[in-house]
Amino acid sequence: MNKNEQQGFDEMEGLFTRLYLEAFPLSAAFISKRDGSLEQAKDLFQDALVIYYEQVYTRSEKVRTSEKAYLLGIVKHLWYGQTGTGFTERLDGLDSLMLVDIEEPQPSEQKLLSFLETAGRKCMEVLKAFYYDNLPLSKISDHFGFSGTRSATVQKYKCLEKVRDKVRERKLEYADFAE
Amino acid sequence: MRTSLNEIEHIEKHLLGELPGEESLLVEVKMSLNESLAEKVASQEVAYALVKQYGRRRVRQQIANVERKLFETSGYMSFRQRVFKFFG
Repeated sequence: MNKNEQQGFDEMEGLFTRLYLEAFPLSAAFISKRDGSLEQAKDLFQDALVIYYEQVYTRSEKVRTSEKAYLLGIVKHLWYGQTGTGFTERLDGLDSLMLVDIEEPQPSEQKLLSFLETAGRKCMEVLKAFYYDNLPLSKISDHFGFSGTRSATVQKYKCLEKVRDKVRERKLEYADFAE
Repeated sequence: MRTSLNEIEHIEKHLLGELPGEESLLVEVKMSLNESLAEKVASQEVAYALVKQYGRRRVRQQIANVERKLFETSGYMSFRQRVFKFFG
């Protein structure tokens, strides 16, 4: 990891450590009362953190004041989803439909993803900052050492083009084999 | 930006619904007439999905690291004790 990646990593570690310390005990209590195990609690909480990060943290500053409540609410949704019992309590701004989108990549995507994680690492980090972390343009520009926001945008599209070309290339390969 | 990058930006706006109605329609028409363009659009959609999966994997790695830290290293004893109490 280079220096900037490490810094980003440390920030994320700080965030997840704080959320874990603040909110995991409540989730653990909830799950243990329903005869769930510690492992189940950890698994559900990890999913809840991913969902929270994607659906709430990266999208809005405002709702961060009720993080504990949000995380517990997501854990409850996941728990009842697993056990198949109904759960009608609504959490403001969090549609239960959002929670479905936690699936793993398709097998055909896995290979390409593994390739991109190594050979395409730098580009994937840039694209992740834009499209997944939703970081402001200026922060991305600083973090990656671009000469300015314009340059950052150009890099974004260059990287997107590279990834897209890789997708097209691999699709052609699959098509060849399928004949 | 060079032409190909402008095109990628244009496709992105189309996919995000940020183009005015008639421009978006024009993209759709061009796609039906031009297989290469249609394929670019489809591949670009896959590219976004891959970025999301990549981001998710990185986040899961970070969460797993934090979990290991909290449950396996010294310094978080009171947190662990609090949690273990629930599971008897």
